[in-house]
Amino acid sequence: MKKLSLVASALLIIFSQSAKAELKISGYGSIIAGKTLGTVDDPLNPGQKRDEILTADFYDVGQYTNDLTFKAESILAVQGTYKFNSQLSVTAQLVAKGVDDFNPEFDWYYVTYQANEDWTFMAGRRNIPMYYFSEYAEVGYAYPWMRPPSNLYWWQVTQFDGAHAMYSFELGEYSNTITAFYGNEYSDDNVEMLYYDKLYGGNARTVNEYWTDIAGFNWNMSGDFFDLRFVYFQNDRDRETIQQDGSISPYTPFSQQFIGFGGQVNVSDFTILFDMNYVEYDDAVGTEFPTYLISVVYNIDEFQPYISYSKADHERSKVPTQDLEEHYMLSYGLRYDFYSNVAFKIQYDTFVDQGHEPTGWAYHGDSRTISMGIDFVF
Amino acid sequence: MLLPSPKKTWKVVCVVSTMALMNMSHAIADVAVVVHPTNDSSFDQGTIKKIFLGKTKSYTNGRSAILISANYSDPATEEFNSKVLGKSSSQVKAYWSKILFTGKGTPPQEMDSNAAVISSIASNPDAIGYLDASAVTGDVKVVATF
Repeated sequence: MKKLSLVASALLIIFSQSAKAELKISGYGSIIAGKTLGTVDDPLNPGQKRDEILTADFYDVGQYTNDLTFKAESILAVQGTYKFNSQLSVTAQLVAKGVDDFNPEFDWYYVTYQANEDWTFMAGRRNIPMYYFSEYAEVGYAYPWMRPPSNLYWWQVTQFDGAHAMYSFELGEYSNTITAFYGNEYSDDNVEMLYYDKLYGGNARTVNEYWTDIAGFNWNMSGDFFDLRFVYFQNDRDRETIQQDGSISPYTPFSQQFIGFGGQVNVSDFTILFDMNYVEYDDAVGTEFPTYLISVVYNIDEFQPYISYSKADHERSKVPTQDLEEHYMLSYGLRYDFYSNVAFKIQYDTFVDQGHEPTGWAYHGDSRTISMGIDFVF
Repeated sequence: MLLPSPKKTWKVVCVVSTMALMNMSHAIADVAVVVHPTNDSSFDQGTIKKIFLGKTKSYTNGRSAILISANYSDPATEEFNSKVLGKSSSQVKAYWSKILFTGKGTPPQEMDSNAAVISSIASNPDAIGYLDASAVTGDVKVVATF
């Protein structure tokens, strides 16, 4: 909170000097409406029917049910960048989301120092560069779909306070950037974790989720027809589930490793987008999450029809278990760039839960969802 | 394994250059890439493409490039994006939005008119821009025409 007010006052000072050309204001947003189309047997309460539910935004628990809503994933963001000189700048993003009743929060704030053509350093609050689309997952205008497949972008932590060192270089004809990063995230009152506690019949007051010593790197390589990215990081995990009486539920900390390879390749009028990821815990059971995404987009003038398939699995290596959480999403949609900085999108999602019902791992349930709306930048 | 093999790359090059030729036959006018008259850096299509995609941040003279573009609805923008960058204007805009909102670069500044493109480049030794070739004046230096 103290940090937030510090940034806010720093920004106020900067904004008050907005007559200077060095301040650049830009922004992005999405106004999206959607609903699910039917009912399912509640996997956690056998014999009972409930609306199909699609969690479109896991981190904030933005969900679609049978009731049409604009709140699940509509978002408005304003970014201000103030350049002190050609090398040093500060950037902040004020983000308002429908799931938070559009209460604006400073989700991003960081300092950038461009030491020279090759080296750039950043420090502050940014998204964790996990998946290929993680860093701009909320900038709908930047990709063809309604959202990066939410059954992969499901983590309860997406941001962190940290430092980044970026080195850019040419390798033959290819442009490369290697980024090393380090940081921590103390996510007090974690929305997603509290949701799961309640989903499984808990009554916790709050859940605090801690990801510490997040350390890793990614390597981005791009040429005329492709853009590829490899990522590796590890971090320590801990959690405080605070009950109504103030007691804290026992939890065994562990560490996790994340490996990913993703990118996009352009072939004639088609763009192929893919991401393969593997997460491993060093916990007692050897938890593993192999996930992947493949999507094909057809570029025809201002239209981009697309199809995407994303699959997530959950296994245990130390006590071999196959039947845990498992699901895939098959999505079809169309992006239409009908104005210079506005795109219309419509998407149909089929979520198929292949998890193990008796043990409660099929907790998502199947769903069919239609969503449409606009993404814009300014 | 996802890197295209040389053979495939060649096929793609053929397809794309054929498409580029087809596009050219529809071209209304050429697009000129212009810089400040004092900018003595060297430019070829590859360099210009990398500069306008933010992959190269400096000129060969060592100074940081400041990018200027024509208006989104100006035919010169569509021409430049398809001929030089190989993308549609909306793809270019989407590309820059991911860079801008992750703090990894600044997109070209859009100018409302040819006169504004020329005056902003004439007044800044590090600026580079493009416009309809027929609108070029002596205040700026043409380094390439597409």
